[in-house]
Amino acid sequence: MSIPASHRRAAILVAALLVPAAANAHGVIGARFFPATISSDDPFAADELALPTITIFNHETDTDFDYSKSIFPGFAIDFGMGYVDANPPGGGHASGFSNLDVAPAMELFRSPEHEFIFSAGVDWEIGGSGSRSVADRSSTFTPTIKYGKGFGDLPDEMALLRPLAVTGTVGFAITGAGSNSIAWAGAVEYSLLYLQNNVRDQGFSNFVAHLTPIVEYSFTSPVDAGGGGETTGTFNPGLIWSGQYTQLAIEAIVPANRASGDNVGVIAQLHFYIDDIFPDTLGKPLFGGK
Amino acid sequence: MNARSFLAGVAIIGLAAPAFAHAFLGHAAPAAGETLATAPKQVALTFSEQLEPTFSGVTVADSAGQDVEAGHAIVAGESMSVTLKPLVPGTYRVTWHAVSVDTHRTEGAYSFTVKP
Repeated sequence: MSIPASHRRAAILVAALLVPAAANAHGVIGARFFPATISSDDPFAADELALPTITIFNHETDTDFDYSKSIFPGFAIDFGMGYVDANPPGGGHASGFSNLDVAPAMELFRSPEHEFIFSAGVDWEIGGSGSRSVADRSSTFTPTIKYGKGFGDLPDEMALLRPLAVTGTVGFAITGAGSNSIAWAGAVEYSLLYLQNNVRDQGFSNFVAHLTPIVEYSFTSPVDAGGGGETTGTFNPGLIWSGQYTQLAIEAIVPANRASGDNVGVIAQLHFYIDDIFPDTLGKPLFGGK
Repeated sequence: MNARSFLAGVAIIGLAAPAFAHAFLGHAAPAAGETLATAPKQVALTFSEQLEPTFSGVTVADSAGQDVEAGHAIVAGESMSVTLKPLVPGTYRVTWHAVSVDTHRTEGAYSFTVKP
């Protein structure tokens, strides 16, 4: 008896959803653990919660939350929102909630051997969803590609550079107001855990071994004809401590040029690995997880 | 949200569930990059989480890529170990993979050297 093609497809789909799979969770690919970056997106689609992220920069204090939920392995939707308290030097205090960000992202390629991951997504800032006093009325769509690469495949002569890794994103921001731009961001990081476990045991304490010195950057380059302004952005050097279930991060915010800001700020984040805290409930994909 | 509510939320998230996590390597003997005057008789690794024995393991190879284990890896609790054949001076590569009991997978590799 032959099975109709539609039934075969349905059976394959059901099998794919039910077969247990080793979990591909936050920030791990091959021998590399990437901590969650705080000033730029990382390329992983995972179950995570950042609460809070506090940013003090350019006469403004932002308190943000961000929750990422995996729908199926390799695909997650991120929700973000925050509270803005702005005190510009010329007066005119303003405060309120920022727009809601919804950002689905999908991992498209993984190479554990080369500690490489590539993903793509769209960030949708929903215009008008925040407070009128601080949030834009128009929406912004930003299709984005993201990557991460660890350098554990460097030759023996360069072994001390193996703990290095980079992440990056490039997006094209399409605004309802008509001023489009390229958003490019990323991080350069040096994992002491990788150094300790995969290159040379330095005798670090457990706390020190889980530190990652990092420099993040985040820039926006206007692309519209007619002079939409100059490129602005910041370099953010800092430190991330990654535990089993949480991570703490703090970075300075250094404006790259005069147009980007007139003082050094700070950003700090408490982050929860939901996939590790609730592996059998909240922390697994809605479909197709273990 | 006041500070008390926030801290309560953090506590709920952090403490409410029996949690498992990625099994990260905590201690290795011989250690990564170590140079030994005497050949070790085994490699022993300790992890941060309980391991799933069926899906976890460790191999050791010499510089020619030949395995030098004297038997199968023993995986129990948060540890795994493997007994080695008598080692001659040279550099050896330890390659491990660990699946914690909640199925999160980690892996790693490092080298150690036995002096002449």
